[in-house]
Amino acid sequence: MILRLPFAKARSPRATEVGSPQLDVRNVLWLLAAMVFVVGPHLLRLPDWVGIFFMAVVAWRAWISWYALRAPPRLLMWAITLAAVVGVFVAFGRIVGREGGVTLLILMASLKLLEMRNQRDVILSIYLGFFLVMTNFLFSQSIPLGLYMLACVWIFVATLVGFNRVGRATLGERMRPAAALLVQALPLMAAFFILFPRTTGPLWALPTDSRSGTTGLSESMSPGNIANLIKSDATAFRVHFKDGLPPYRTLYWRGPVLVDFDGATWNMRRHVSAGRTDHPRSERPVRYAVTLEPTGKNWIFGLDIPGSVPAGTTLLSDMQMRYRRPVTERMRYDMTSYVDYRFGLEANRAQLQAALQFDPERNPRTVALGRQWAAENPDPRQVLAKASILYNSGTFAYTLDPPLLERRHPFDDFLFNSKQGFCEHYAGSFTLLMRAAGVPARVVTGYMGGEVNPLNDELIVRQADAHAWSEIWIRDLGWVRIDPTASVSPLRVENGVNAALGPIGLLPSLIDADRTGLIGGIRYAWHALNSQWDEWVVGYNLDRQRQFFTSLGYPSVDWRTLGFWLMTAIIAIGAAVTIGLLVHDRPPRREASLVAWDRFCAKLAAAGLARAPHEGPIDYLLRVRASLPTAASAAEEITRRYVEARYGAGASRQELRDLARLVREFRAA
Amino acid sequence: MAFPASFRQSVSDWIFRAQVPETPPVTLGQRRIFILPSKQGYAFGGTLLLLLVASINYALSLGFVLTFTLASMAGVAMLHTWRNLAHLKLRPGRSDAVFAGETARFTVSVETPSQARFSIAMRRRDGEAVYADVIPGETTAIALPVSAAHRGLVSCGRIEVFTRYPVGLFHAWSYVDFGLALLVYPRPDAMAGTPPAQSKSYHEEGIPVPGDEEFNMLRAYRAGDPPRQIAWKALAREQGLLTKEFSAMASSELWLDWEDARGADVEARLSVLCHWVLQAEGYGQSFGLRLPGTEIQPARGEAHRNRCLEALALFEAPR
Repeated sequence: MILRLPFAKARSPRATEVGSPQLDVRNVLWLLAAMVFVVGPHLLRLPDWVGIFFMAVVAWRAWISWYALRAPPRLLMWAITLAAVVGVFVAFGRIVGREGGVTLLILMASLKLLEMRNQRDVILSIYLGFFLVMTNFLFSQSIPLGLYMLACVWIFVATLVGFNRVGRATLGERMRPAAALLVQALPLMAAFFILFPRTTGPLWALPTDSRSGTTGLSESMSPGNIANLIKSDATAFRVHFKDGLPPYRTLYWRGPVLVDFDGATWNMRRHVSAGRTDHPRSERPVRYAVTLEPTGKNWIFGLDIPGSVPAGTTLLSDMQMRYRRPVTERMRYDMTSYVDYRFGLEANRAQLQAALQFDPERNPRTVALGRQWAAENPDPRQVLAKASILYNSGTFAYTLDPPLLERRHPFDDFLFNSKQGFCEHYAGSFTLLMRAAGVPARVVTGYMGGEVNPLNDELIVRQADAHAWSEIWIRDLGWVRIDPTASVSPLRVENGVNAALGPIGLLPSLIDADRTGLIGGIRYAWHALNSQWDEWVVGYNLDRQRQFFTSLGYPSVDWRTLGFWLMTAIIAIGAAVTIGLLVHDRPPRREASLVAWDRFCAKLAAAGLARAPHEGPIDYLLRVRASLPTAASAAEEITRRYVEARYGAGASRQELRDLARLVREFRAA
Repeated sequence: MAFPASFRQSVSDWIFRAQVPETPPVTLGQRRIFILPSKQGYAFGGTLLLLLVASINYALSLGFVLTFTLASMAGVAMLHTWRNLAHLKLRPGRSDAVFAGETARFTVSVETPSQARFSIAMRRRDGEAVYADVIPGETTAIALPVSAAHRGLVSCGRIEVFTRYPVGLFHAWSYVDFGLALLVYPRPDAMAGTPPAQSKSYHEEGIPVPGDEEFNMLRAYRAGDPPRQIAWKALAREQGLLTKEFSAMASSELWLDWEDARGADVEARLSVLCHWVLQAEGYGQSFGLRLPGTEIQPARGEAHRNRCLEALALFEAPR
């Protein structure tokens, strides 16, 4: 028995219409290239096997096309498809999440490429490609990715053009019409983008991992996790101050307040009572607007301490702000804060009690030190002074790469052995010392400082600015912020993390990049551009749309008004593009003599004496003369002048005008 | 749609106001070009809808940008598809007669008065589409094939000129009818042999083979004389252009007669006659054709042959 390879060489040129658009090898290769381009960014973020699978299938398809082989048999296709689904399930645990869903889509698209047989399959693949463009935006909507995806769309449209051409088209013959289509589509696209009515929320509930941007602070803090966060250059939020920047040392952006402590990890309390904002005020509030990147968490950030909170937000008694749902998309809110404040003078007993809890079995040396201070002098101010001496003794160092601490007694290890740490080490150990000394204390996490973009006076707060500090409660003063890190590294608090770590710091280069000079200028310009992009393009939602129309002088536009304007814009832009095309396509102006001649012929045709297509002017004249003796002399004059103008010496403007007049006056009947 | 084809056709004729035949050249003006989304276009619309829903649901601003870019692109593509067809100038080209069983071609030439046009297609009703690019300053001939199975007059009918370029989302079309028609001659019956001898001086075997006949006389050359009958030797002797006349040809009046053609039916007999006509013409024989109700006097030459073949093509058997 002879076994034949299922897809051995079998040059079987499909019967296609002669000269009709077809599944040409080049067209297929174009489609494959377009697919690789659009899937590329995904392959960088998905597991390696996805990329290998995809590229292998694409290469296989290219091979099949190039050598005009048969498509793989159906059974094999089913097996591969099944394997792909199982692979996704094994890798992601499910097939609906963001990564899992996108992976599945990529794998299915590649398999569609493999079994592509006719024009319909091609079209389906190209439309799938547009979906893959969309899936990229689930991960990032940055300017570079946007431009890259625009290029991908361009390639896809060019592919479409190629499939609609007879025979082969050159690179230019594909790319130029595609570019023309996209460029001419831009004004209409802009009108759609600005005017299309936006909705308030999703149409259906989304899986929680549907969007990116879940890096950030968490509900708990143990030594080491902020240090990891700080290596990220990602933007946490941007702030626009309405009345100028407050002093840098006051820029403490309050986030999760951590009260519960188990000896190593600080945690948020599950239930915190609601708070009030009617604390004593000593000055005018700072007014600002925050554009928060998605965090996937409920809390939002504000300067210590909030004066008025944005809509949909609850202020808790520990001055945390909770939004009504997790922040899954970029959110902009206006609020005010008091940077010179006093609050919590009448803190309730339960709250203070919670702020004194600790496990005396763990970190015994730290606990002992705190108790010793309290025994020496129970006044919190004296205890604080002792702590200040301890942290300022010069033996502590500020570093992003502290040695690993002992698991059971990490703060003992830090305070008495390693003495190298980051903000969470200082804040954590300090809070524990305070509690041991009988002073109610808690850890506050958030961000410290930020970077001012001189181009638009915006403050950019990055994950790298993540910080942790302490709050202690003193009678008559209320909750007071103590930042032990400031004792160790005042630069950190005065100038930000880069200054604290110095030029030979252990930070990755993305943070300690040059912030002055040309590079710095470009960086700032880039950040300013990104900020505008985020605000007006990526963040263009219902609120932005309203804001935009309010700024134009239309305070309350509803979807009907928008719809009307949209229709108007479509008609206006459509008319403009049409006229542009018509003017561009206008055939070259015909000679005046020819126009006159055609008119003359039309008049005779109306009289039943049409010129035959093959008939020259002289022959025609002979026929006209025979049939219409009354018009013979006029016809003769017109013909003579026409022949002279067109085939003879030519005619002056005046002569052409005369010819036109003669034709106008000519009566065939 | 469930309408019978004939009903749809008449509706279509009414809507598209077919005026037949039109005087060339026909310019595809704005009013005679129709445009609708193609099947792909509708699918594209569905895709756009899905993209829009995804953009709304995931609040993806760049998703909106993508959706609106593609939607606007489709709108612009409609204009481009339309302009790819607009103002094309069409003229009927040569449409040569063929023998039954061959493929006939109706030719239409296309010119563009402005920019180049790509993937311009034409098709007859129920016919295959033929595609071509039209370059400014050049005349592109598009030949519409029609398989001529039976003899007779084949009319081209209305031609649909259409295009889907550049992206295939729209189908722009126009109808043109030049009233083109061509003749399909009967299929020559190669097994028919030679016509039976019917004139007294004619050989029994039928058509004379050159050299077989008796040389009769030389006469002055007349236009249309086959080259093989020219007296080349006389020409070499500078006696002028003379034609050799053979006795058989001079005296014979070869009549290709319906009655002599044997065949199962009318078509078979016409095929035999067709073969004889071609054979006689091939030998330069002067021949006449006798059909019931028609008689073509003996003559020779291309025009005569075509006249005879036309008579065969259009022959209708008396009842």
